[in-house]
Amino acid sequence: MMSNRFIIALLLLALNLSAQNDAIAAGEKLTYSAAYNMSGILTDIAEVTMETSSVKTSKAALLRLKCTAATYSKWDNFFKIRDLYESYVNPKTLTPYLYKRDINEGNYYKYMKYTFKHKTKTVKSQLKKKNNFEENKNIVINSGTKDIVSTLYKIRLFDYKNMSVGARKSLTIIFDRKEFKGQITYLGKETINTAIGKKECYKLAIGSNQTDVLKGKNSNFLWLTADGNKIPVYGKFKIPVGNGELKIKSATGLKH
Amino acid sequence: MKKLFTILAIIASILAIILSVLPVSNLAIIPSIFALICGLVAFYLSKKSGEVKKIIQFTFLLTIIALAITTYKSLFNTVEVANTTVLEKKEAKSEEEAIEELNELDIDDIDIDDSDIEDIDIDE
Repeated sequence: MMSNRFIIALLLLALNLSAQNDAIAAGEKLTYSAAYNMSGILTDIAEVTMETSSVKTSKAALLRLKCTAATYSKWDNFFKIRDLYESYVNPKTLTPYLYKRDINEGNYYKYMKYTFKHKTKTVKSQLKKKNNFEENKNIVINSGTKDIVSTLYKIRLFDYKNMSVGARKSLTIIFDRKEFKGQITYLGKETINTAIGKKECYKLAIGSNQTDVLKGKNSNFLWLTADGNKIPVYGKFKIPVGNGELKIKSATGLKH
Repeated sequence: MKKLFTILAIIASILAIILSVLPVSNLAIIPSIFALICGLVAFYLSKKSGEVKKIIQFTFLLTIIALAITTYKSLFNTVEVANTTVLEKKEAKSEEEAIEELNELDIDDIDIDDSDIEDIDIDE
């Protein structure tokens, strides 16, 4: 009886540990190029970077997750995008405390800030737009709800090695001050060629229960390297005509 | 029939020219090929009937220009991101502001003091 309990405790501990961050280190920088693919003809659109760094506050050391998107110079005269997404998270569990989104697309500007209060399960949001438009709102969230940036990183923490093909994980994401459920499905291993070499990858299908997000279910795929880092190397997203692709260009500062 | 192919060739070649000037120059290949095929068919059909209209040759010219622009762009234009200084400044400023805000937040997950959080000054 005693040993049984001990084993259960050990198992729980192991489960708990597997949810911890063992893949993402501070100082990691991933660069991608986003391209539009129409019947095999690729057009590069923007450069996307995903960067982590450690941030020291007076009370704790946090991890800053930063994603930026910037259009290539040939697009700047037509449609200039300079987007900044940030999330300040607990380095162990990737629980977000502060999220900021600053998007600058053509003539459109939007700023969004969430301050997470996990104890009361609320998010204090601040929305800013052009012409000094400002709106503050409090949103009630479920426990475990994350912003989009920390969700992107959270995907890397799942233990795919011990997952069977077809296994699903669901995530609750807060975006545009609304919560929605995202779902990832593990589709098995696949070896693909990337700019950083031939990699064995975990292939994932990304879906959400909100059908109008990127149209249709299971047509969005993501490939994560099947090593300790689990970095996303390739993504494919269905859009009404053709599809979008996200390809890795370089990866530095990896943990393993 | 001859007329149809001529019109298709004209439309496709104009589309090819427009696309080749835009940043999506790679996509100009598709209408270019289409314009060439339609143009050739129209050319062949009108040759059979005797008279070749100038407009068909004109579509060939347009298509060749479009292809030349596309090839030039794909060979000599480097893919790069420019003008990121504003974005970089914004990133740095955003981090400073975030640290200030986070300083006022009690970070500990289990023990978040609400009164502490309420104090955050959101207005900038």
